[in-house]
Amino acid sequence: MGMFLKNINLKGKTALITGATKGLGRGAAVAIAEAGGNIIAIGRNQFELNTLKKEIKKFKVNYISFNCDVNNYNQMKSFISRLKKLDILVNNAGTNIPESFLNVKKSSLETLLSVNTKAVFNVAQLCANQIIKLKRKSGSIINISSIFGLVAGKKRTVYSMTKFGVEGLTKGMALDLAKYNIRVNSVCPNIVLTPRTKKYFADKKYNKYVKENTPINKVVTVSDVATSITFLASEAASMITGSSIVIDGGWTAK
Amino acid sequence: MLKKINLKNKTALVTGAGKGLGKACAIALAEAGAKVILLSRTKSDLVKVNKIIKKTNGSSQLYVCDVTNLEDIKKVLRKINRLDILVNNAGNNRPQHFTKVSQENMEYLTNLNMKAAFHVAQLCSRKMVKTKNRKKIGGSIIHMSSQLGRVGCEGRNVYNMNKFGVEGLSRGMAFELAPYNIRVNTVCPTFVETPMVKKFFKNKKFKNKMLKNIPLGRVAKESDVATAVAFLAADSSEMITGTSLLVDGGWTAQ
Repeated sequence: MGMFLKNINLKGKTALITGATKGLGRGAAVAIAEAGGNIIAIGRNQFELNTLKKEIKKFKVNYISFNCDVNNYNQMKSFISRLKKLDILVNNAGTNIPESFLNVKKSSLETLLSVNTKAVFNVAQLCANQIIKLKRKSGSIINISSIFGLVAGKKRTVYSMTKFGVEGLTKGMALDLAKYNIRVNSVCPNIVLTPRTKKYFADKKYNKYVKENTPINKVVTVSDVATSITFLASEAASMITGSSIVIDGGWTAK
Repeated sequence: MLKKINLKNKTALVTGAGKGLGKACAIALAEAGAKVILLSRTKSDLVKVNKIIKKTNGSSQLYVCDVTNLEDIKKVLRKINRLDILVNNAGNNRPQHFTKVSQENMEYLTNLNMKAAFHVAQLCSRKMVKTKNRKKIGGSIIHMSSQLGRVGCEGRNVYNMNKFGVEGLSRGMAFELAPYNIRVNTVCPTFVETPMVKKFFKNKKFKNKMLKNIPLGRVAKESDVATAVAFLAADSSEMITGTSLLVDGGWTAQ
């Protein structure tokens, strides 16, 4: 550590990551391990949880995984409340079903509200309570939001509703958890190329739409987002709370 | 996966580098490997900062320069070969109740916090876009804004006007410089223990009132802000532009 430059260092810290098997969650797990943090991976695909273990173990940190659906409150509660160490939550599990407003199905609305809103709230509450119970000196919670937590997008009404909600939750949590020195922030990426968004990018029109709306002429990478998450998780960001890091190449600046 | 805060082979110019946040940023950037060009009106301050950087094997050069003097800045820019990073930091504050603000103070603050900030940014941008492979290597401009660039505060009306302005300028610049892969962002700190703030905090009533507004219950350290600036300066944030990093302990989340 320098005189004024704080390192992004997570040695001795333990991070729980939901949706850890793929995309941003997996990237966050690897980046946090690279910074020295121990990993608790939550996901629904046992095969991918096993391949992630191999990737994480390269960094000589601890790895445990739990095959569980974040919507299953009781299972999540019994797992989280038994953790012996927890400092960081990357509240990542989320999904999207793009449909134009007039045609949004009731089932789509239910799914998105369950995963992106209710499960996000529940996991955050369970982890915050556990961090407090373990009497950790500090904590950091990073909610994975989106540019659609800040602005609207085509066929993104429900997604925007849930992600704007996450932005509100982040600020509210930051105030309630400040006295425990638990910081709460979100990251708001542009559309990142992940297994979930691959199908969107296959559409030429969609590709053009993303390009035209991103002043910096590049697609955001998983590594871009994982780096910001790791920064927020670390003491390098010890005065940053109730805020968002917007990783969008300028999309929302207009 | 994790992008390091690494500024090797980069040249950074920091205004107001003699004291407070500018000094901290200059040292942090040097710690990350940048060659730092230090600007301030006070030579004795610059000499001290230069010594600190040299002691830690960093690289720096100093120029006595008044940023409100266009010719002064032009002279400096003629002397340096290249520029990759600008920390547009020089600024000041003279708190007064709105009805009592003197013409002199309004002129002084606006000329320094807005007009000079604009000129420095414009002249440095012109220099930066000239580098042949700029699009490939990228560039980064960081404006020193404030939480008061986002929310109002008693006795801070001129400072509010200036810093809200800087937030607007930053977003506009982000668009126009994106084609050159030059990113433009601001850092918005809460009260930081700098010489400027120490003066305000001599008033204990004011200090306690302000601390009550920071959910984390402490003022920011210079290193908190300098680390955020270094993060924005480096490729660790290569898709972050037209936005702000709030280093405010939750002040603006309320």
